[in-house]
Amino acid sequence: MAQVIEEPKVRKYLKVNLVIRADYIAQTMDVYAQWKQPSWMVDNRRARMIPHLAWLLPALTLLHLTMQVNGLKRGATQDLKCTTNNVQVWDCTWTDPLGVSPGTVKEVCIKDRLRSCHRLQTTNIKIPALSSGDHEVTINYLNSFQSKFILNENDVSLIPDTPEILSLSANFSTSTLYLKWNDRGSAFPYPANATWEIKVLQNPSMKPIKLVSFSTTLSGKDTVHHWNWTSDLPLQCAAHSVGIRWHVDYHHFSGYAGWSAWSQLKNISWTPDSQSSVFPQDKVIFAGSDITFCCLSPTKVLKGQIGNLFLPLIRLHGENVAIHVQNVNVSESSGTNVVFTSIDNVHGTVFFAGYPPDVPKKVNCETHDFKDIICNWDPGRLTGLVGPRNTDYILLDSISGKSSVFQRLEALTNDSCCHLSFSMLPNQEIYNFTLTGHNPLGQAESQVLINITERVAPHVPVSLKVKDINSTVVTLSWHLPGNFSKINLVCQIEIGKGDSEQEVRKITIRGAEDSRYLVTVDKLNPYTTYTLRVRCSTETFWKWSKWSNEKRHLTTEAIPSRGPDTWREWSSDGKNLIIYWKPLPINEANGKILSYNVSCSSNEETQSLSEIPDPQHKAEIQLDKNDYIISVVAKNSAGSSPPSKIASMEISNASLTALLTMNEQAVGMGKRIFLTWHHDPNMTCDYVIKWCNSSCSGPCLMDWIKVPSNSTETVIESDQFQSGVRYNFYLYGCTNQGYQLLRSITGYIEELAPIVAPNFTVEDTSADSILVKWEDIPVEELRGFLRGYLFYFQKGERDTPKTRSFDTGHSDIKLKNITDISQKTLRIADLQGKTSYHLVLRAYTHGGLGPEKSMFVVTKENSVGLIIAILIPVAVAVIVGVVTSILCYRKREWIKETFYPDIPNPENCKALQFQKSLCEGSNTLKTLEMNPCTPNNVEVLESRSIVPKIEDTEIISPVAEHPGESSEADPENHVVVSYCPPIIEEEISNPAADEAGGTSQVVYIDVQSMYQPQAKAEEEQDTDPGMVAGYKPQMRLPINSALEDTTEGETEKAAGYRPQANVNTWNLISPDSPRSTDSNSEIVSFGSPCSINSRQFLIPPKDEDSPKSNGGGWSFTNFFQNKPND
Amino acid sequence: MERESSENWERDKPGSQGAGWGWGDRTGWDQGAWELGNRRVVPLLLVLHWKPGAGSPLPITSVNATCATRHPCHGNLMNQIKNQLAQLNGSANALFISYYTTQGEPFPNNVDKLCGPNMTDFPPFHVNGTEKTKLVELYRMVTYLTASLGNVTRDQKVLNPNALSLHGKLNATIDIMRGLLSNVLCRLCNKYHVGHVDVTYTPDISSKDVFQRKKLGCQLLGTYKQVISVVAQAF
Repeated sequence: MAQVIEEPKVRKYLKVNLVIRADYIAQTMDVYAQWKQPSWMVDNRRARMIPHLAWLLPALTLLHLTMQVNGLKRGATQDLKCTTNNVQVWDCTWTDPLGVSPGTVKEVCIKDRLRSCHRLQTTNIKIPALSSGDHEVTINYLNSFQSKFILNENDVSLIPDTPEILSLSANFSTSTLYLKWNDRGSAFPYPANATWEIKVLQNPSMKPIKLVSFSTTLSGKDTVHHWNWTSDLPLQCAAHSVGIRWHVDYHHFSGYAGWSAWSQLKNISWTPDSQSSVFPQDKVIFAGSDITFCCLSPTKVLKGQIGNLFLPLIRLHGENVAIHVQNVNVSESSGTNVVFTSIDNVHGTVFFAGYPPDVPKKVNCETHDFKDIICNWDPGRLTGLVGPRNTDYILLDSISGKSSVFQRLEALTNDSCCHLSFSMLPNQEIYNFTLTGHNPLGQAESQVLINITERVAPHVPVSLKVKDINSTVVTLSWHLPGNFSKINLVCQIEIGKGDSEQEVRKITIRGAEDSRYLVTVDKLNPYTTYTLRVRCSTETFWKWSKWSNEKRHLTTEAIPSRGPDTWREWSSDGKNLIIYWKPLPINEANGKILSYNVSCSSNEETQSLSEIPDPQHKAEIQLDKNDYIISVVAKNSAGSSPPSKIASMEISNASLTALLTMNEQAVGMGKRIFLTWHHDPNMTCDYVIKWCNSSCSGPCLMDWIKVPSNSTETVIESDQFQSGVRYNFYLYGCTNQGYQLLRSITGYIEELAPIVAPNFTVEDTSADSILVKWEDIPVEELRGFLRGYLFYFQKGERDTPKTRSFDTGHSDIKLKNITDISQKTLRIADLQGKTSYHLVLRAYTHGGLGPEKSMFVVTKENSVGLIIAILIPVAVAVIVGVVTSILCYRKREWIKETFYPDIPNPENCKALQFQKSLCEGSNTLKTLEMNPCTPNNVEVLESRSIVPKIEDTEIISPVAEHPGESSEADPENHVVVSYCPPIIEEEISNPAADEAGGTSQVVYIDVQSMYQPQAKAEEEQDTDPGMVAGYKPQMRLPINSALEDTTEGETEKAAGYRPQANVNTWNLISPDSPRSTDSNSEIVSFGSPCSINSRQFLIPPKDEDSPKSNGGGWSFTNFFQNKPND
Repeated sequence: MERESSENWERDKPGSQGAGWGWGDRTGWDQGAWELGNRRVVPLLLVLHWKPGAGSPLPITSVNATCATRHPCHGNLMNQIKNQLAQLNGSANALFISYYTTQGEPFPNNVDKLCGPNMTDFPPFHVNGTEKTKLVELYRMVTYLTASLGNVTRDQKVLNPNALSLHGKLNATIDIMRGLLSNVLCRLCNKYHVGHVDVTYTPDISSKDVFQRKKLGCQLLGTYKQVISVVAQAF
């Protein structure tokens, strides 16, 4: 905008004012633009503008008012305003001053290089662009008004024309808008930069949702520009409008460049079809991306969900809603379902989330036939997309420019992935392949450069044929499809014989096109079934083809390479010679053996037997004992074998007997047995080992083998071998004269334990020994080499548990290992007489122990010992009896005095009266009454003296000691001796007597009973070892008690019986007193050694010095008592 | 039983005329198209020849129309028809379940809403009608189902190429239906001398979006499951 310049000062002001006004306009437009931007597009730039406006607006207003006032005051033209829309023509307008009527003619003069004036009636003028610098513009009115302006390019605004949108279209499936417009660049000097601003509004709210700007270059001609934009919200969900504006920056134009006006808005909207109401439909998106779905529904939508996941609804205009899904997962093959449920319906759509194709990996291209190139590859990561959204691949050869397409739409699945065929081009060996995979989400590619002649993997050879040349040579042919005429093929022929033996031969053949290839295969065996197969490659090896199918072929027959192994045995009667031979192995038979010819020849004649058909492998010839040579020839369809010869007679061997008796032993393992021998230089042919079952009768031949003459060992193996069977092996050596027996060996393949026990008997039995004899076990039952016998014995009787078995380690068992197998008897010594022994015998081999055989034997009784055992006690008893009788006889007076003193008259006994009065009325004290029989007890006590133990000490009858010595008496050392008068037995049934002497017993002591072993054993068990002294007759009697006292220590040591030295020390108890048997404390002494109940006589002692008897008393008493009874 | 039915179906020439295929103004028996139909391309042909208005039912032709079969019909046709219906009825639920399970969520959990038997163009069937009427209606219905299931099968092979179980069930159902069609036609032809039955087909849905196809297929199978039980009991 130019202003009238009256004064320099004013002019300067106006220039400033122009600049400020121009800035103001520009800023105002910017502000407008900023205001029009959607709120989510406003940035902090808008915030920066607000402070400027605060002071700028009042200042400008003030300036404007001042200018108006000045203008009115002076009557000048106001507001010369120049703009341009193309830089080349300026359009200047102004306002006539007050008082000038519109349409007044005026002259406008512009002072440029030339002064040009224009007469016109309007208030605007278009002038060509002025050069840079100030130009004076004068407006002269005819009414003498004149206004002058200084016009500079800087005062001119470049405002381009409003742009016009050529077209706005939309791809609703991709929610993309396409905008097209013309820049009209031909109107502008070029080059110039144009900046475009595009706004997208969402209807019906006209809410700006997108404002973008971008720059273009004006090239001096009209150019159509395109812009597209993909909406997050499907375009079906709402109508959209688009408008554009622009401004031009021309470097040579120094004026202000302003925005054009916005173009007219172009609208785009979707026309709904019949049913679809959820968008986008069937969209393919990247897994992990975000997507928005909208539902156009006439009724209220209640919920929206993806799969089973409900999402919050975003309300659009009307009842339309949307949901926003973030980070979607890879879809199932049929896609992920999105469903909106409205009041009356269910709407939905499907999207497919997946990945773009991965870079093809391991791309491998090869040819099988030089016609097609087959490329295969690993597709890498799965895309998650199937069916029509699956990845398609294109194989492009950049050299030839040809391509091949792989589409899996038909296959639908990944099964056929991933190989592609490319037709080979003639005369092209190098291929530069680019394999590109693409799906709706993207594409990826790999490259591979190959020389196809180095990538040949031929097809599988087919149609194998084999043709015989001879028995060892065949021709093999096969067909190999493909054009290999320019290369050589390398093939492998696998020749299989049997199940395991295989040979691979490699050959090189010239290639051909779809041809049969024929090779010769030699070095085969006659009459052998071979399995042939072929595979091929090329000289520039890449891969082998697969093996062809196997072809089985049987070569033709040839004559047998040798004669069969022969052997001969004389029959048991020695008249016939039996010829044996073995069937030839297949590799030596060279065909099917049809028959054998056997002949025998001597010096005089040759005798030939008839042909023997194959299954038969022996012949019998009646021969005399002359020497014959037997020949055996095997025949097949190709001819006869060389003859095998063997002499009919063996060479005698002087040491044969010794050999046989040596009986060497050998044990094998499994089904094999290992034999060795020393090399014999005389054996020039071979060795033969024959064997037979040792228990077999008749000619001994089970089988035989031949071993080369240089061998010294062999392993014999046969399925016929059985464990536990004894075999005889015979080693023959072959010389020119015939076979000679060299060794004889007995052996087992495996030793087993004997199955029977040796049969043994007892040959002799004595009181302390047993002689056992056994027999050999038969070889068949021995089942191994006998290594010895085990003999057990122990005390025991039949059927007692203790002897039923022999437990190892039992201390009572005695074991004898008999390793001398020739020993057949055994004497067992140191046995006890008349004792039963359990004997067991077992044989054993290395295979184990055989069963046992047992026997019970009782040794004889030892008669001498028995006799001695009887006689000695009898003799002792007799001697004792005689001595005792003598002593008794010589001391009879003393005995009478001691034991049978005169009985005083009871009438004179005051004590009796006293007792009678005292105990009147007590039945228990009728001591003077003569009861028929009361058991009497005599107790002999001897303190501090060892009392001889008597066997019948079960009788317990305490005896009252002398009062003075009772305290010293050891109650445990007393011996109770009982005796009973003969009448006891008659009165034993008396109840009173039973009651009174219920615990009394009568024991009759027999001298002989003392020798009973049982009794003795019991005595030994019940007697203190220190007291054991047995019965000792009284040999020396003590003289008096004083002496006894002085020799107390000795008497303690003297075991045995001691007579009672002092009659006064006798303690008598009443045998009738029941309490006497209960307690020593209740013993009642009557002061007399008499038994008032006894009807026997007590012999008074002859004198005081007479020896007194205690133990002997009862002994003698018994003796005397028994004697009358006896 | 199924094999016999299939053989019957393969040997017999259906007596329906061209109008029975649903494109209205066409007449004349297209034997080649029928044989192609045997090879399971009937749905494709239907789609190719579909025109607006094809879904409208057409009247039964007169009883005196030409009625001929290529091969003699089986003697015990009604038994075979009953058995085939029983077979279809027995497998319909499993097919339905397999279908909506394969479509992914939320189909299995919204069977009522998404697979409700609310098809408007499904051929009617009257239980109380005469045998002839019932056979005619059965023929219409099975023809409709065969074509529709062909479309469903085609869609599912694209959408769920690995759902072999579903494919097998669909194919088996279509095979039985074709055998049933043959037998029904034989019965109609032999006993009632009905040589032509006007049939209707479902509108083409190949242009619809995937969700609509899924949903329509599910609704079809839901309807089929319900109807076939009624039909099976009606015979």
